[in-house]
Amino acid sequence: MSEHAQSQQSSAGAAAFRRKQKRKKTWVIIGFMAPALIVYGLYVVYAIGMTFYYSTFDWTGIDADLEFIGLQNYVELFRDMTFWQSLKNNTLLIAASLFTQIPLGLIMALLLFSPVKGMRLFRTVYFMPFLMSTVAIGILFVYIYDANFGLVNQVLGSIGLESLQRGWLGNENTAIWAVIVTICWQFAPFYMILFRAAIVGIPEELYEAADIDGATGWKRFSSITLPLLKPIIVTSAILSIIGALKYFDLIYIMTGGGPNNATDLMATYMYDQTFTNFNMGYGSTISSMMFIIAFIVTVIIITLDNKRKADY
Amino acid sequence: MKKYAVVLICSLAVLAAGCQPSSENAETPEGGSDSGGSSENKELSLWHIETGEAEKVLQEAAQRFEEEHEGVTVELNQYQNDPYKEQIITSMGGDSPPDIFHSWGGGWLKNFVDSDQVMNITEDINPDNYLQTGLDTVTFNEEIYGVPVGMELTPVWYNTAIFEEYDLEVPETYDDLLGIVETLRANDIIPFALANQPQWPGAFYMMYLAERIGGPDLFNEAYNRTGRTFDDEAYIEAGQKIQELVDMGAFPDGVNGMNYDNGQSRQLMYSGDAAMEIMNSGAMLNNVRKEMPEFEEKLDYFLFPEVEGGQGSQNHAIGGVSPAFSISSKTEHPDLALELLKELSSQETAQGLADRSGNISAVQGVEYEDGYIERLNSTLNEANYLQTFYDQTLPPEVAQVHLDTTQGLFGKSITPEEAAQEVEQAAQEVLE
Repeated sequence: MSEHAQSQQSSAGAAAFRRKQKRKKTWVIIGFMAPALIVYGLYVVYAIGMTFYYSTFDWTGIDADLEFIGLQNYVELFRDMTFWQSLKNNTLLIAASLFTQIPLGLIMALLLFSPVKGMRLFRTVYFMPFLMSTVAIGILFVYIYDANFGLVNQVLGSIGLESLQRGWLGNENTAIWAVIVTICWQFAPFYMILFRAAIVGIPEELYEAADIDGATGWKRFSSITLPLLKPIIVTSAILSIIGALKYFDLIYIMTGGGPNNATDLMATYMYDQTFTNFNMGYGSTISSMMFIIAFIVTVIIITLDNKRKADY
Repeated sequence: MKKYAVVLICSLAVLAAGCQPSSENAETPEGGSDSGGSSENKELSLWHIETGEAEKVLQEAAQRFEEEHEGVTVELNQYQNDPYKEQIITSMGGDSPPDIFHSWGGGWLKNFVDSDQVMNITEDINPDNYLQTGLDTVTFNEEIYGVPVGMELTPVWYNTAIFEEYDLEVPETYDDLLGIVETLRANDIIPFALANQPQWPGAFYMMYLAERIGGPDLFNEAYNRTGRTFDDEAYIEAGQKIQELVDMGAFPDGVNGMNYDNGQSRQLMYSGDAAMEIMNSGAMLNNVRKEMPEFEEKLDYFLFPEVEGGQGSQNHAIGGVSPAFSISSKTEHPDLALELLKELSSQETAQGLADRSGNISAVQGVEYEDGYIERLNSTLNEANYLQTFYDQTLPPEVAQVHLDTTQGLFGKSITPEEAAQEVEQAAQEVLE
């Protein structure tokens, strides 16, 4: 009995000790997280909150008084053809990222493992576009697409395809594609590096076992490499979709959203409304919409992925 | 509180945009000594977008001011054109504006005036010191909100060697101009160099044609809502004439994708592939002198020809003010800021800008060393009417529609009627 009581007491003491330790640990954790948490809270959470707040006002951004108009900005947004046009362009960019950048990145990563001489050189060459400054890429491609002196038209001319020559960035039908090609050129190497790292991580034994079983070439890829790359493919997909939804740089540099809004993305349209047209309220509405769309898309992808994992 | 909120919202905007605003490069000129007896050091901030020699002239003006006012330091912040627009909106909204800021006058400045952000200096300056056309761009409801320092004239520049080679004369009528376009086209020369990605270079054609057809009052009537409107027959006809020129091949291929800032239109002029370009005097002269000085010998200009039966005249020019400076209404030292403003538009500063950076002065009494600038200045002064740039005069929202639709006209993705209607619709929503 007394023994039992003693053990109970000691276990109670141990529990208290553990609780204390745990509390201490919690504080340590909080202490370490605090700096990042404060920055994150202030510059991300609070800022997102304020964006939603400002989206309910008719505000120039410089005026002292803000006129509350409720959801009027959102009503206007849904009627705004330029917004739908920019959303459509974002969708095109998502499709291009998913079906061009990621496969291209994967192919380049696989090529890096092929037994060809000089692969180290190719690895550097493939990665180069991603190392260049976006502004430099933008200006470089503006020259490449130039109607009169540009490389694209020169090449087309020299192989007898004069009929295809045009001012790529000046034409409302081709401008968005010309920029999307440039964006893919810049970002495919990024996915290549991700995939390369993932492929290196696949245990060699699996391939040895496959060799013994007589699996070669395509079979090796489809039964071993691809399934094991799935998590990284999902991550890449999320990254590229979110990246495409909030993309800005190259469009701003190469076309400024033009001609006549043909290449506007949500972000460039937001920029124009906020800083050119003095519509801080409406600009915030576009930002909020971008956030909502990106949020919903992320939730869907993560849910699907979790379901896949559960099924697995 | 609001200050932080605005800063935050902008950082979000920047985050969302995934871009970094180009870093401003703050430059405090040396010599801001306060070795004297003055106990407190006052600081005035000045935001501008001048580069090269013009920037140095401003620095010297600030230095002169510092020498005359002991214990006062002037902090000059130089921005690039587009980042400047962001920064100034952010700082005004965040209640921490600079004391003196650059402006283009017109509808852009009026936005700030309407928000009580700009000091009224009607009583403090002598209007006789400035060109009236310059002063008009900073005057709203007969109150003056800034001082004009430099002016722009926007003529048609042409390559005299090409004109001589094909025996062409400076056109006096629009039909003459069409004849020139045909001759040049037949000889595989691009009639007009134009890089219309930034939209404003193409707008010159719309402004000139509309004025030549509808006369000098057309724009003012539409802008002040006192008569004709932006969907007037004259605007439609101007749009049709632009598309007529496009059909004749008067512009380079892919004109809407070419960027002026990258030099894509000037290249065509320098290489002799193109014969004419409508461009601001400051931009044209400074670029030529920097990039290909020997081209200046072949460079001459004329004002856009008259349209037969139109109400405009070849004597009417297009131009604007750049730069003008205004004082923020939030400044802590209004008197000092006013003194600095006067120094920035002083005879000495204006002379420096005219001599060293090819600036047509908005300040009276400048004597030009540079023959070219002097000629431009007299063209400007002899012009019976100066049409200021639409995109600087109109409120930004209407200006943007005007720029977008005009770009659409060049790309033939919009009809002249639609373009005119869209501008008028925006005007009805925004203008009273």
